[in-house]
Amino acid sequence: MSNELVLHLVVNGEPARALVPASRTLLELLREDLGLTGTKHGCDVGDCGACTVLVNGLPRLACITVAADCAGEHVDTIEGVAVGGQPSAIQAAFDHHVAAQCGYCTPGFVMTLTHLFTEEPEADEASLRHALGSNICRCTGYVKILAAARDAQARMRNPA
Amino acid sequence: MLPLPRFSWEAPDRLPDLVRLAAEPGARLVAGGTDLLPSMKHRIFRPGTLVSTRRVPELRTLRVGADHSLSLGAALSLRELARHAEVRTHFPSLALALGSVATPTIQGMATLGGNLMLDTRCMYYNQPSGWRAALGGCLKCEGTLCHVAPRGAGCYAAHSADTVPVLMLLGATAVFATPNGELPIAVGELYPEDGREGPRCPPGAVLVRVEVPAPQRAVAFRKLRQRAAIDYGLLLTAVAPTPEGWEAVISAVAPQPIRVAAPTREALADAVHKAVQPLPTHQQASTWRKRMLRVEVARALASLPA
Amino acid sequence: MSVRQPTPVPDPIGSYGAKIDGRERISGAALFVADLKLPRMVHAKFVRSTRAHARIVRIHLDAALAIPGVVGHCVGEELPRRYGVIPVAQDETALAVGKVRYIGEPVVCIAALDPETAHRACEAVRVEYEDIEAILTIEAALDPARPTIHEYARKPSNILRRVHQNYGNVDAGFAEAAVVLEENFDYPGSTHVALESHAALARVEPDGKLTLWSSTQNPHYVHRDVARVLGLRDQDVRLIKPAVGAGYGGKCDPFCSDICASHLARKLGRPVRIVLEREEVFLAHRGRHPTRMWLKMGFSAEGRITAVDFKAWADGGAYASYGVVTSYYLGVFMPLPYQLENYRFESHRLYTNKPPCGPKRGHGAIQPRFALEVLLDRAAGRLGLDPAAMRRDNCVEANSETCNGLRVTSVGIQACIDAVVQASGYTERRGKLGPGRGLGIATSAYMCGALHPIYQNEMPHSTVQIKIDRSGEVVVYSGTADVGQGSNHMLAGLVAHRLGLHPADIRVLEGDTSLTPVDLGSYSSRVTFMAGNAALLAVNPLRERIVAAVAEKLGCDPAEVSFGRPGHADRGDGPRVGTDTSDVSWVDAVWLAEEKSGPLVNAGGYTPPKIGSRFRRQSVGPSPAYSFTAQVAEVVVDEETGMVAVERIWVAHDCGRVLNLAVVEGQIEGCVYMGVGEALCEEQRYLPGGLIRAPSILEYKLPTVHESPEVTVFAIESHDPEGPLGAKEAGEGPQLSTVPAIANAIFDASGVWLHQPPFTPERVLRALDARARGGPP
Repeated sequence: MSNELVLHLVVNGEPARALVPASRTLLELLREDLGLTGTKHGCDVGDCGACTVLVNGLPRLACITVAADCAGEHVDTIEGVAVGGQPSAIQAAFDHHVAAQCGYCTPGFVMTLTHLFTEEPEADEASLRHALGSNICRCTGYVKILAAARDAQARMRNPA
Repeated sequence: MLPLPRFSWEAPDRLPDLVRLAAEPGARLVAGGTDLLPSMKHRIFRPGTLVSTRRVPELRTLRVGADHSLSLGAALSLRELARHAEVRTHFPSLALALGSVATPTIQGMATLGGNLMLDTRCMYYNQPSGWRAALGGCLKCEGTLCHVAPRGAGCYAAHSADTVPVLMLLGATAVFATPNGELPIAVGELYPEDGREGPRCPPGAVLVRVEVPAPQRAVAFRKLRQRAAIDYGLLLTAVAPTPEGWEAVISAVAPQPIRVAAPTREALADAVHKAVQPLPTHQQASTWRKRMLRVEVARALASLPA
Repeated sequence: MSVRQPTPVPDPIGSYGAKIDGRERISGAALFVADLKLPRMVHAKFVRSTRAHARIVRIHLDAALAIPGVVGHCVGEELPRRYGVIPVAQDETALAVGKVRYIGEPVVCIAALDPETAHRACEAVRVEYEDIEAILTIEAALDPARPTIHEYARKPSNILRRVHQNYGNVDAGFAEAAVVLEENFDYPGSTHVALESHAALARVEPDGKLTLWSSTQNPHYVHRDVARVLGLRDQDVRLIKPAVGAGYGGKCDPFCSDICASHLARKLGRPVRIVLEREEVFLAHRGRHPTRMWLKMGFSAEGRITAVDFKAWADGGAYASYGVVTSYYLGVFMPLPYQLENYRFESHRLYTNKPPCGPKRGHGAIQPRFALEVLLDRAAGRLGLDPAAMRRDNCVEANSETCNGLRVTSVGIQACIDAVVQASGYTERRGKLGPGRGLGIATSAYMCGALHPIYQNEMPHSTVQIKIDRSGEVVVYSGTADVGQGSNHMLAGLVAHRLGLHPADIRVLEGDTSLTPVDLGSYSSRVTFMAGNAALLAVNPLRERIVAAVAEKLGCDPAEVSFGRPGHADRGDGPRVGTDTSDVSWVDAVWLAEEKSGPLVNAGGYTPPKIGSRFRRQSVGPSPAYSFTAQVAEVVVDEETGMVAVERIWVAHDCGRVLNLAVVEGQIEGCVYMGVGEALCEEQRYLPGGLIRAPSILEYKLPTVHESPEVTVFAIESHDPEGPLGAKEAGEGPQLSTVPAIANAIFDASGVWLHQPPFTPERVLRALDARARGGPP
């Protein structure tokens, strides 16, 4: 039985360590213990996708993931998406199309799409919409998010 | 931000340890956590210890028989299973049901075992703690009155596991590990009549795998919901031919999935409509859900070869 | 070293592309209140009422306060001063004082070292109540025999406000009509669901002054109310609005989190942070008023509207919020975008024992627009007219005045109608898409900020200050609140346009009451029009001073000096200022100007023009300009299930002038999305006892990507004579016509009229059943 534990994990490619109560969620670990506040709290209970991060490459909802369950695993957050200080193709397309209005849901969408285009670079429209069903945006009506995603996908296939 | 209540954490990597820890007082098994953790945030459950099933190899094993029968580890994610070539090819209705759960992200977290052991759901129950306090609790939690059927005999919280109607028609068996060896239970036998209890799990037992026999007949599945993502089902409908005629399993309407048989394909929708009575456990009108029974059965049948 | 080809700075106005603050929003770097953390900070949570209407008999706190980790608490009696943005209706306290008025109202606030301890402590509080009969329906609120929810009014009743206005001769208008239609409508309540929940962080500075970080749309009003409730001078409170995860009207009020965090920070001498849980956001509400309406309209044989008579009862919840304004907005905008001579309305905003309603996108105007646009289509059917052509024939003219005294300047409504009719093939395709598929049209108009301020004063509604540094950096200081709508970019774009710079070269500092001059806030679609004009007023004199200095240096006519000339990228001093034959760098131009005429700092304040009205009472509603929208919806109705899918929306919006096309389109698309939600699935509902039914994103059915239509946007530019570079609003108006366009499309698809959104499957089936039985459609 352990009420408090020392967690070792790899966050955005770097080793991270924290002493946390066993009841810590991954979201709290990232935000409160590791200072990675880019991952957002939206709905508390896994409905909205704002807290989406990648654990060993797969999307997970950090608000309903026990941090201890990620011991030893690789966690990727929005802070680790940029390459050499430059936005990723997905981020750049979100920027250009203003697919981030308030930007609160954006980290979650970027993580969902990062996973989709890594796993399925040729994802068609149906796959794209299917994947985006995991995330709620209240600002855009998804129009600009879809435009940005298609644009990013084209750029990732044919880098200029 | 809504915090989790405090608990301690165990993540054994051997099955005997998992079985032993699961039997400790105050312990509760967690797999993907997509149903349990929201309920814990709502203070419906306050287990002293959470025991993770995710690191035990036996629960993460998928075996395919020469006859295409399946043995599916309980801690495999819905996503892994839905994308598995064998499942897709030989059990398309199961793949459909797996892929209809909540959202793609949740399918990557949630497990087959977790789906089978999903707690029953009700709009008076799956609510935050302060909400339930204002209601005065309900028969299933913190209270004495069922708000769905105040004069009824028990709790009507609805069985809501998307994969179960299909698994029942596929003749699947849930295999539990207990201190005294393995215990197989037909999936259809897991769900008691009273919604208070949730799925039947023998004391100290751990769901290890689900066995699906070789495919024998085509099964069709439909999930009725308001939105194509996020939502639990308003009706879960699976239909299949039998040697004697046709049968359907309907869920999201009662604590148990309801099995209905009919002599002919044409008679199935009427039989279902007669046998099933959705109750106001959901936000959506139960009169409409009742009416949709016929439509869903007809559409499920239409998706099968003639 | 290579020298890039010099290129002129493209004019940012009208272009499509990134916002100046886009990078921080795509990278997770933007800091929202919940991302801020201060040394010794504690976390506070609320004990909330479990009763709809009750006297508080006793609060038992001992068990809660004994929990290790609990550091403090406060109760309502500590904060008795009532507040509210509308001066005539200040009825709210941060925590209930003496009695509770809705289930979920905050009663106690407890601070602890961590949120879990605070949550546990709140559960350990026991409150004894003595129930009072709860007022939960419009009928009950109108019944003078029932208990009153508030006692502060001179003549206590549960009617917060009744407004009655009468223009022209309505009865004569009906008498001359060829067709008169009347109908009852019920518009549901709905809520914003901004993904960032309301949050506040308060700190007492070493000098005793208070700093409050708040996720608000209205820094100025929250600033004033927090100071008032805490008994502080306004000048001793600094309110900072960091990044805000959207509002849609839901963050226009001061909230319990703002006031309790501030109070507890002072009481405990340490920073206090409150981040609402999702359930609490549904309880904070301030959403759309559920509104019962009766509408009667008369039409000539040619389809001219001869008279409109309208009554509305808005179920407002337990506190006033902006409810007084709602009561006016329910009626005032009805005439636009049509020419109407005879119009009368009577509206009521009521108190009930439910979470308070307030301003949600399209505030007050959404509900009547739904009723009117549906009845208009019915009339067109009765008269055998094309609904689009009939609307076009009724349209208001530019530079006119409505029957209720609204001065109308730029009008692009005809162009809007033409654009969507043509793009959708409305004329050819309507009525021919076969059963289950249909097209519907609707139009609307909305305001660009209120002519009159909420609290009586003659000062500017928006002030913008600009400082041009010797480094060449341009800083814009504005009290506006960018909550995602893009107002920072709007300010940067206007200033960049005047100075020949890239918007990205402009730094915008906003929403900080100690750093930035007052702007009244992000509500009533006022920011582009008012803060935009203030920015131009601030930058234009600076521009002239630079022109004068550069002309003097180059020995040329000031009229020849232009900005944004091709610069040498490798020199890093930006574009150049001068003539075709000689120029100086931007930085040199700034130096010259500062040498010639002193510090390059200037402020501009926008005060709306004094527009006389024929009508003395017309103080709430008039705006310096109005935006216009037309849209066509294409829907598919599944006649077996009753489920409606909105496949596509064509929407044309007269926004005056496009400042950034991506931002304008995004605002319009967001409006359509919210309209689709209200049309199909969103409704804030309550159990009969007043308990909210679905305080979660799982059960409050906002549309996902799957339910959201394809949207084709046409930005129509009418160039408003008073708007900044001709611009008007785009963030609210386009939502008004979405719901009626969908209702009208459902009629085209299935021959049924629906008078009560959301158009849920059971409502659609009920209507189809009635049609099948041969009843009225």
